[in-house]
Amino acid sequence: MTLVPVTYKGGIYQHDIVTDLIEDLGGYVVQKHVLAQEVVLQCFVPKDDIELIREISRPIFGEVTDSPLVGTEIAVVSMSLEIHHLPHPSCDIAEYVRRIGAKSNMVSLARGPGKRISGLNDEERDVINEHDIAVFLMGNFETCIEFKMPKLLRGIEVPVVVCGGPDKETLIRIVDPPVEGYVGGVGRFMRRTKEADQLDKLDEIIAEITRVLEKKREDIAKDPLSVSPARLMNLIREKIPAILDVTSPTPLTVQMAGLRVKLPYDTFAPQLRAMEIEDGITLGDVAEIVPSRMRDYILVKVLPFSETNIAI
Amino acid sequence: MLAVEYFEVECPEPLGAEYYKQIANDVLLDHNLLKVIEKIHIFIDPKVPVFIAVGILKPITSVVRVGDIANINPQEGKMTLVITDETYLAAMLKIFWERFGKDKVEQPDRFTVVLYDVKADPKELEQIVIGHPGESVNRDLIYALRCVAPEGFRLRSENFGTGKFTFIASENTLAEDLAPIVKEKFALMGETP
Repeated sequence: MTLVPVTYKGGIYQHDIVTDLIEDLGGYVVQKHVLAQEVVLQCFVPKDDIELIREISRPIFGEVTDSPLVGTEIAVVSMSLEIHHLPHPSCDIAEYVRRIGAKSNMVSLARGPGKRISGLNDEERDVINEHDIAVFLMGNFETCIEFKMPKLLRGIEVPVVVCGGPDKETLIRIVDPPVEGYVGGVGRFMRRTKEADQLDKLDEIIAEITRVLEKKREDIAKDPLSVSPARLMNLIREKIPAILDVTSPTPLTVQMAGLRVKLPYDTFAPQLRAMEIEDGITLGDVAEIVPSRMRDYILVKVLPFSETNIAI
Repeated sequence: MLAVEYFEVECPEPLGAEYYKQIANDVLLDHNLLKVIEKIHIFIDPKVPVFIAVGILKPITSVVRVGDIANINPQEGKMTLVITDETYLAAMLKIFWERFGKDKVEQPDRFTVVLYDVKADPKELEQIVIGHPGESVNRDLIYALRCVAPEGFRLRSENFGTGKFTFIASENTLAEDLAPIVKEKFALMGETP
């Protein structure tokens, strides 16, 4: 059964019909937002059943759309938290990827700005590496991007998309070591992205992120995960009730090959390791449970089938 | 951009110059500074790296008087001032306290100030100067140019006054012989530093 990421938008009235249907079909609701009279569900559903969900949600005016970024956690790397980069373009981009289902975190560097003086420390590097993809938002000058990129990419293991002022061809030429994606013409600007051409640029960033993540998905599919992170999310919600008291917007953040659990590591890691998934198989058997560099959170890294010989 | 007589951004990277012209325009517009700038020339060389902004300001001669922000209503033994613009209210109260004493000045609500037993003529009161809008222009301009300049350029040299300004920033120690470059940039606008 292939699960595909989709977004369901509809009225709050009778939306539980859709929620139940998704669960009955073997899908998972990753995030649920209730906004006044509207409900937005970001979910994984079986590919063959999308039409059925569309049909059943039609009488209640629900809409099902493809959302390739559902179930991914994206690091939007901003060079600093100064007025020079915020709120435009860093927040605009972080917000735009959120709209189509991704969970985006802004990672702002302590020593990001400048050419000679810029750098990346170990904490920033580790935090970026905890995500599925990193989007680096660079400035307008190719001289600076060329000079500072080798330093900023040192130790980064996740796929990277570089956005910068110079055009795409120039970025491909100057960024060393080469990265997975490039978007030109999006450097530093100090106005809100609301015109059609600016929104087109944001769409271009999304297209590039999607392309890079699709490739990562294909790589994961070659050696499938022992257990689906979305399934783990539901299990943790059932078996560790403390997660229900966490006030963070996404207490359990689903990633492509893991899960971020926003509970203190020392208290809950042993419980998580011992949590039974099915037939005596515990989470510790199929995943690495490590402390996250982000606050005191727990990072669950699901191991592939080739390492565990278990598929559930 | 229409209010500015000369507005150029010079950079060895043409695309970078274009972006920075847009940034400078947005920032100066946001800070309401385009109307006080007559000419501005920005030079950026990311290879050095250096950021130089030179320009000419329009003369700001107007001052704000009590009559501009308040209507004075003389009554028996007191004068009531109805405030129309709060911007200079604090400065006005400070001047009143110094001149008449705190016990004679009262502010019952946001838009009313009452002066008790003040011997001054209402016409004379209206003429009291309470603000100089030109005073804060230089401070605002420095802030705006810091926003325009690339963020890593933290070593700065600023020269503001007499209607002309020079703002130099870099991430390296500033060179000592920048005066000829500044002079050259002023000359491009047809001015002298």
